[in-house]
Amino acid sequence: MYNSVDELQAALGEQDYIAERGLSVAIYLALKTGKPLFLEGDAGVGKTEIAKVLSTALETDLIRMQCYEGLDVNTAVYEWNYAGQILHMRLMENEGLGREAMESELFSERFLLKRPLLQAIEQSRDGKAPVLLIDELDRSDEEFEAFLLELLSDFQISIPELGTIAAKAPPVVVVTSNRTREIHDALKRRCLYYWIDYPHFHKELQIVERKAPDVPAMLARQITAFIQDMRSMELFKRPGIAETLDWTAALIALDQNELSLETVQDTLGVILKYQDDVEMLDPTTIQNMIDRAKVEAQRA
Amino acid sequence: MSQNGPIKGVFLGPADAPYDYHGGKLTHNLILFGRVCRALGMNVTPNRMMEVGRALAHIQLGRKQDFYYTLRSHLVNHPREFAYFDEAFEIFWRRPSDGFTTLNLQSLGEERRKKKTQFLPPLESSPSENGAKAEELDSSMIALVPTYSRQERLRHKDFAEMTAAELEMAKRVIAKMPESLGMRRTRRFESGKGRVINMRRLMKDMIRKNGDVTRLPTHRRKEKPRPVVLLCDISGSMERYTRVLLHFMHTLAGSLYQVESFVYSTDITRITRQIRQKNVDDALEDIGGTVLQWGGGTMTGECLHRFNWTWSRRVLGRGAVVMLITDGWDRGDIPLLHREMARLQLSCRRLIWLNPLLDVPEYEPLTRGAQALLPYVHDFLPITNLANLEVIVKALQNLSSRPSAEIYRQRYLA
Repeated sequence: MYNSVDELQAALGEQDYIAERGLSVAIYLALKTGKPLFLEGDAGVGKTEIAKVLSTALETDLIRMQCYEGLDVNTAVYEWNYAGQILHMRLMENEGLGREAMESELFSERFLLKRPLLQAIEQSRDGKAPVLLIDELDRSDEEFEAFLLELLSDFQISIPELGTIAAKAPPVVVVTSNRTREIHDALKRRCLYYWIDYPHFHKELQIVERKAPDVPAMLARQITAFIQDMRSMELFKRPGIAETLDWTAALIALDQNELSLETVQDTLGVILKYQDDVEMLDPTTIQNMIDRAKVEAQRA
Repeated sequence: MSQNGPIKGVFLGPADAPYDYHGGKLTHNLILFGRVCRALGMNVTPNRMMEVGRALAHIQLGRKQDFYYTLRSHLVNHPREFAYFDEAFEIFWRRPSDGFTTLNLQSLGEERRKKKTQFLPPLESSPSENGAKAEELDSSMIALVPTYSRQERLRHKDFAEMTAAELEMAKRVIAKMPESLGMRRTRRFESGKGRVINMRRLMKDMIRKNGDVTRLPTHRRKEKPRPVVLLCDISGSMERYTRVLLHFMHTLAGSLYQVESFVYSTDITRITRQIRQKNVDDALEDIGGTVLQWGGGTMTGECLHRFNWTWSRRVLGRGAVVMLITDGWDRGDIPLLHREMARLQLSCRRLIWLNPLLDVPEYEPLTRGAQALLPYVHDFLPITNLANLEVIVKALQNLSSRPSAEIYRQRYLA
């Protein structure tokens, strides 16, 4: 475990994750106080990445649960292996067991299928609790949110047939949301909240250089300046860091050393995913943006 | 100490003494700060404050930045609150020059209301007024002067309180209000007759019957009411109806499931939170103070553009029904209106146009705006006598359970 925010920030840096001070403080406190970390921000700013990096840094397992509408206890927590139970029941019939014996045999851990939340509670590697990533919580429905509320406050799950299973070491919980709907206050209140914003120029440049070491220095600067410029436009979906990195990879694959009108036009689909946004960028606009990016790259 | 009065005299020692962070004053100040945050609308509970206290033990208090983020990650849980928090933090946790700090909670609240009206050009401040205020202050206190402009007040809209007759009508309306504007099948199951076998129940049955299967228990998909989004025109041409329409929106917000409310004329404002208040007069007063584009021209295209860009992804999920309340008079960009209506129609389940400009029985939607709206709406509900909310409710009751297929036929089969 880390003893100061600086130590944690350095550890994240080793994993090529460049965290702002505020985010580092939030993560540090989440680790120290055992509270879940609730991350919001636009798509592609590195919310999910945090959980991955954190599990590597802490040398523990990452258990990921992708949320979707209708996610229920059967897919999130546990399910009984019905086929196995029926088979076993047929075998037991010959033994003439009583109902209670049969029930305790059939509803035992042997036939329990553990889903992510139960795994996260039970599992610990060398006594180390795993990192539990509850991804895109806004996609689930209120019923699941209510269930999660209960889980996150006590870190225990009760299975009617088996009893209550409590976590020995509570997992490090990271909850992310893209804000396609508001998450209920009651849940947010139990968490440490952090809003991840788009990075400023220097931070993004640092990320590009870390994640794509073979990118020509000038190109990296131009890419970053171009994307930063693009984010100030009124787009339906502004490009995230994920798009910046994808675009960098694309331009490297095309052996580019500099931005040019032609390549930008050809690779626009890597950064913009909506036709309305692509239409906004006519050749003159792109050329102006490239010129600005080049000036910015020289200056910065 | 009243909530609204200034909290006076948190004594931090003489001005030249070093600020003692580790003394008992920190807890005291933390609690005061918590109250400030609560007054600003953040969800701060005593429990939360205790957690803050515990968390502070883990960080270096000397680093103001870390201190700031510790407080922020505990007390703020919505991006909209960042600005208020920052402001409060800045004012509260600075080193006071003369040993005292005073916070006037009300003035911060006032700042907050001002913040929401960003779309207005900055108002000129009158120097004489500020000067007079400054003199009233105790010179030994640092205080936030309530900045309240008379000019701004003029732009607020005052609604008369509801009369007894109106309240009576509202009650009748609520009783008759349909429970939803359509249902949606969710992906969740509930017990009852259906087509999917309920394995869990089957196992229980089999054990009870010693392994025999006598019947296959089933469960079915749960149904939920669709979310509703109300977009109400409050421009000049609608002014006569605004009050009754807001009453109507308040009624809908209170009786339907998940209602998001917006009003627009030259700009669009979300009023979901304000209109949710129980008391309709409070809600209207709040809205009157928040929305400042009352009675302006109608720029439906521009407003829908803003809606589609910033709000649609957050409120149109899960098969929402959109109800557009406008008379169809429009002074904005008509091609833009066409584009944005097309987009809106494609991103919601059902688009209902409620048109109140129908005092004339033989009204036909011939204005440019109306012509632009009509091809995209699933349902066109003309209301002849808007003074009577019951008419609207009747129209809603008569809505078919599904959007008409006419629009698809026109667009895709023609």
